[in-house]
Amino acid sequence: MSCSKFETDIALYAGGDLPAGRIARVASHLADCADCRALAEDLRASQTLLAELRDDPIADALAALVHHRVLAQLRTTAWRAGFSPRGALAPLLALAAAVILAVILAWPRHAAKQAPVARVESLQLLPAPRSNIVPVRRRVVHRHHPAPAAQPGPPLLVQFVTDDPNIVIYWLVDRKPQGD
Amino acid sequence: MTAWRRESTGDLAAFERIMSQCERRVLRVALRLLNNQQDAQDAAQEVFLRLYRHFGDLDETRGYEPWLYRVTVNVCRDMARGRRRSIGLADVPDPVSPQADAYHDAERAQQREIVRRGLSRLGEKERAALVLRDVEGLSTREVAGILGSSENTVRSQICSARLKLRDFTGRLLRRRS
Repeated sequence: MSCSKFETDIALYAGGDLPAGRIARVASHLADCADCRALAEDLRASQTLLAELRDDPIADALAALVHHRVLAQLRTTAWRAGFSPRGALAPLLALAAAVILAVILAWPRHAAKQAPVARVESLQLLPAPRSNIVPVRRRVVHRHHPAPAAQPGPPLLVQFVTDDPNIVIYWLVDRKPQGD
Repeated sequence: MTAWRRESTGDLAAFERIMSQCERRVLRVALRLLNNQQDAQDAAQEVFLRLYRHFGDLDETRGYEPWLYRVTVNVCRDMARGRRRSIGLADVPDPVSPQADAYHDAERAQQREIVRRGLSRLGEKERAALVLRDVEGLSTREVAGILGSSENTVRSQICSARLKLRDFTGRLLRRRS
């Protein structure tokens, strides 16, 4: 295998990122190849320099400035009112909570008041209009000595009036024939 | 009660303590990614303002460092794209002033300066992966989580970045010696 095919693995090996299964092969190659050993040393050297950037003192001076700028912005009234829970949002949230609580407390009584109750307030016996009444077909009974046929009375229309003016219950009642 | 929990209730003093703990880290990453002090300051400021806004949404148990790194990378990426449109990569100024780079070992400082320049020449994704892995010292898995990539992708990016950086620094260092 040529050295160029080892470059990738050597770059990972130098930083400790090479999977365990490939380490032995790279280590073996490095033991035999001076050029790849030099590459590995260069990579380690640049990694050491990169790690030293972590201690860059320049960050200290800039950090103080950033710190000041952020806090100055946070302390402005408009910004805090827009984003802080202790700003203008707090009264709004309190008002919303109060409204929700009031609705919850008022709801059961309100609902009970509005529910229509089918309570009979009055009972009226009215003769139904004839055009709306379907005649009842009755079984004809033949008797040897037929008695004079009893005539059924006109059906009654019973009207139930409830608390809700929109709900009225009608009940058609057949009258029993007289004499039965 | 932890500082994080106190901040979620709106305690500005607790937020300030948290900012003090990680502002250097955020600024350092921003500096390495943007390669410009003024842009890095602006980026860090934006990161902390976002942190303040999103305290209530963050999961305290997972810590805030991964979130901060992720937001820093995103803010820097957006700033770099805007900057590229306006002035172009070739015009990016030197990252550090001579006063700020005043180390006792001048040769070492010179080498670090070369590495910084090498970093600035890497592509956006390779640079982010290398800064988080080799400068910040995060694990490959952590870097993958922050960048939203797979570990294999991150390995590929840091491998390519290390080789490019080694070519750049090796060439310059040889020329100087």
